[in-house]
Amino acid sequence: MKHVVVLLVLFNSPLVAQGYRLRLDGRFQAVGYRGVQLDSIPATDTVAGPGSGPTTPDGFAVRCPSGAPYCLFFRPGAVQRGAPFVTTADASLWGFGVRGVSAHATARAAVDFTGSDAWPGTEPAIQLLTGYVEYNAERLTARAGRQLNSNRLGMIGFDGASVTARDGRHGLDVSLYGGWGLARGAALPVTSPALNPIDDFEPGKRQLLLGAEVGWSGRLGDVRAEYLREVDPASDYFVSERVGVAGVARPAARWSLSAGADYDLAAGWWGSAEATLGYSARSATSSLGIRRYRPHFDLWTIWGAFSPVPYTAVQGQVSIRALPQVQVRARGEHYRFSDADVSTPLVSVEQAGWRGELGVTASPAPAWTLDAGYTREFGPGAASVGTSASVTYAPAGPYAITLHGAAMDRPLELRFSESVLHLYGVDGRYEVNPDIRFELGAVRYAEDRRRPDAAAIDWGQWRVTVRAVLAIGSGDDLGRLPPAVRRMPGGRAER
Amino acid sequence: MILSASVLVLTLAQQPAQGFDHLKHKALFPSCTSCHAGAAQQGASLWPDPVSCTACHDGTIEKAVVWRAPAAPRRSNLRFDHVEHAAKAKDQPASCTACHTLAGEPRMAVREPVVQRCFDCHGIRTAHVAAPDSACTTCHVPLARAASLTRADVAGFPAPPSHAAPDFLSRSGHGATSRQALGTSCATCHAREFCYQCHAGSAPPRAIASLASDPRSAAILARAAPASHDANFADRHATVAAASTTSCTSCHVRADCLECHRPSAGARGAGYHPDGFLARHPASAYAREASCSDCHNVGSFCTSCHARAGLVAAGVLRSGYHDARQFFLAGHGQAARQGLESCVSCHAERDCLTCHSAVGGRRFNPHGPGFDAARMRRKNFAMCTVCHGAAVP
Repeated sequence: MKHVVVLLVLFNSPLVAQGYRLRLDGRFQAVGYRGVQLDSIPATDTVAGPGSGPTTPDGFAVRCPSGAPYCLFFRPGAVQRGAPFVTTADASLWGFGVRGVSAHATARAAVDFTGSDAWPGTEPAIQLLTGYVEYNAERLTARAGRQLNSNRLGMIGFDGASVTARDGRHGLDVSLYGGWGLARGAALPVTSPALNPIDDFEPGKRQLLLGAEVGWSGRLGDVRAEYLREVDPASDYFVSERVGVAGVARPAARWSLSAGADYDLAAGWWGSAEATLGYSARSATSSLGIRRYRPHFDLWTIWGAFSPVPYTAVQGQVSIRALPQVQVRARGEHYRFSDADVSTPLVSVEQAGWRGELGVTASPAPAWTLDAGYTREFGPGAASVGTSASVTYAPAGPYAITLHGAAMDRPLELRFSESVLHLYGVDGRYEVNPDIRFELGAVRYAEDRRRPDAAAIDWGQWRVTVRAVLAIGSGDDLGRLPPAVRRMPGGRAER
Repeated sequence: MILSASVLVLTLAQQPAQGFDHLKHKALFPSCTSCHAGAAQQGASLWPDPVSCTACHDGTIEKAVVWRAPAAPRRSNLRFDHVEHAAKAKDQPASCTACHTLAGEPRMAVREPVVQRCFDCHGIRTAHVAAPDSACTTCHVPLARAASLTRADVAGFPAPPSHAAPDFLSRSGHGATSRQALGTSCATCHAREFCYQCHAGSAPPRAIASLASDPRSAAILARAAPASHDANFADRHATVAAASTTSCTSCHVRADCLECHRPSAGARGAGYHPDGFLARHPASAYAREASCSDCHNVGSFCTSCHARAGLVAAGVLRSGYHDARQFFLAGHGQAARQGLESCVSCHAERDCLTCHSAVGGRRFNPHGPGFDAARMRRKNFAMCTVCHGAAVP
């Protein structure tokens, strides 16, 4: 009741904030690369290519739809240029006259100056990632507005309200949230045309969402359970319904055992799951675990009915500080898909894969950091093998500069698109003070695409990035404080 | 705790002399207050009138000098006022030399205030910053009230010897001291933000909130990032985080995690993915090294780039992407069930329904292992009708 009174007082108070913090992160990029142009040719004009398949007379492999009088292929097109400018603003306001009340918003504005739509996420131009009013007390947190809830079921975005009650003494908390859902992986409703350029069954209304979480946290471990249901208000059918559980046990110092799983109540199968044993000490960290991954599809699409199969993986990683200035790392994973239960006599594809990395980081002098790595991946659809290296000079002063390079082979399984890629670039950073920072970067992707036909259209390109980060607020000079404190409206006293 | 008396006086004593040689002029000025009237008279200037210098330094009698009184008061955290101090110290031999000269020096051998002379009068028998906690407030105001000090001034505060004790960082060290003197002596050099450099967790000592807020206090660096947070820490922080969540929450809150773990659509620089990930993302994405669609909406993110690279299907059977497999269309089932998320970054439902539909299609059954028809029908009958029409089996 006390909290209700507080909220009533809030909404009857003049909303004049006494304190604020604003962080602006502006980033401009320029990119240019060779585009492609869809072309066609009468089937009768094709000739046999080197791989015995049909090609155009000038050597482009073509694809001839069954029974169609023409064949399709891609020619090199005009150079595509993009010049996106993306600004993210992160604001907090507090001091509305009620202790514990604050407002938060994170918004992004994006525009491509070339107007070419060559950059993802620039439509619509302004997006509200989060924007909510919060009342925070020792035992209760309430929010209203656009929120983003991150749990093992994914990033749950919604416009609505959430309430969390906690008993810190016993490590318990319970949350309930609901509202109108946002699309997965986006700060836009599922009805937005920006999200649906290729799908056919876009819902006419936003899904209604209801979720609940309960958690316990103690010295020896944490446990958390989540439930989420989404319903299409137009038909009252489920868009999704899932439960998840995750936990961490800390049986001894430095050791942990984390595990979790989710179950799709709508599809009737287990989704993703994992279990990892971890060890963390000052000079070494390592983990060994198994995991299973199965994609989740909302039921407003038909993809769930196509029975995506999961894969199961064994993975491990270790990082050892061999010398005070040298750290070596290694990680690897092997995975295998479950039987897809299909008969494909004409086409066989890989069913298992693996990935691994070896690396070393050295700091021979306080201002210098050297890093080198070797990565290798092989699996269904694509593979890659490559090396990378970087040198960073970051003296105690306000600037730092990094030179980096990489070389990579990246063959594809289903496409004649094997390529050798060399990547080299430079990044610089200048920090005027803890609240103002500038960054400049340039990178060159030099690709040699190895196709057996004339369509070896390379993807070589330059990318140039200019970035400025500005933090202002009613409390200045906060740059040296930990991230948690910098974000905290009014410091701890407000909480 | 941090009493210290990391006082500006000491800093000021190290400042270069202003150029006026008092000793050389000792015969001219029998009284200090003839030039520094403010030391004895409330409201008067502490500095001499430059005109009085030109009586001799006119360029003829003596070489001309150019001097101006400082426009602003000296930066200080002293609670000292010459007139008030003289009034309170009326039972003491109050004179300028008591503070501005060393013992035994002549009257005009003046220098910046000598801290040890203050201690002599106030009965403190230690070196300056080694003074007991109770002594700081004798001469100094809390940092939050010393508005003239800059961040650099605060950063230059000397640490008292007590802070170097082996157990000072423990509960019995600064913890015990702060319970006695947080709001007084500690506050001479520190404010709330200083404490939050370490006590940033979910349950910091409540006493910290009794300190005033002053971001300048963070100029005294209490702690840098942990040694574990090296160049590749982002790649392996999951293990460390699972081992001790409470360690993370000492400095981080949930919003910090969401900096990377959120839908971002390429808005940030260094974020979730390592450098160069764009170049190798096909292998990672095909088998979902991570759950891509948690952060990237396939329809708005993948498709826009793939379309420009000629990778998006222009319609069923028209893509040409799978050109390394002559009969891929006839045998794509396994690849599709293994990498369905990759498929749908280029293909729309209509592409598949051309064949996989019981209504108007070629009636190829797409349902595979684990498909629970009754459950899906119960949960979303509309999805079934897309392929089966009203005659859902």
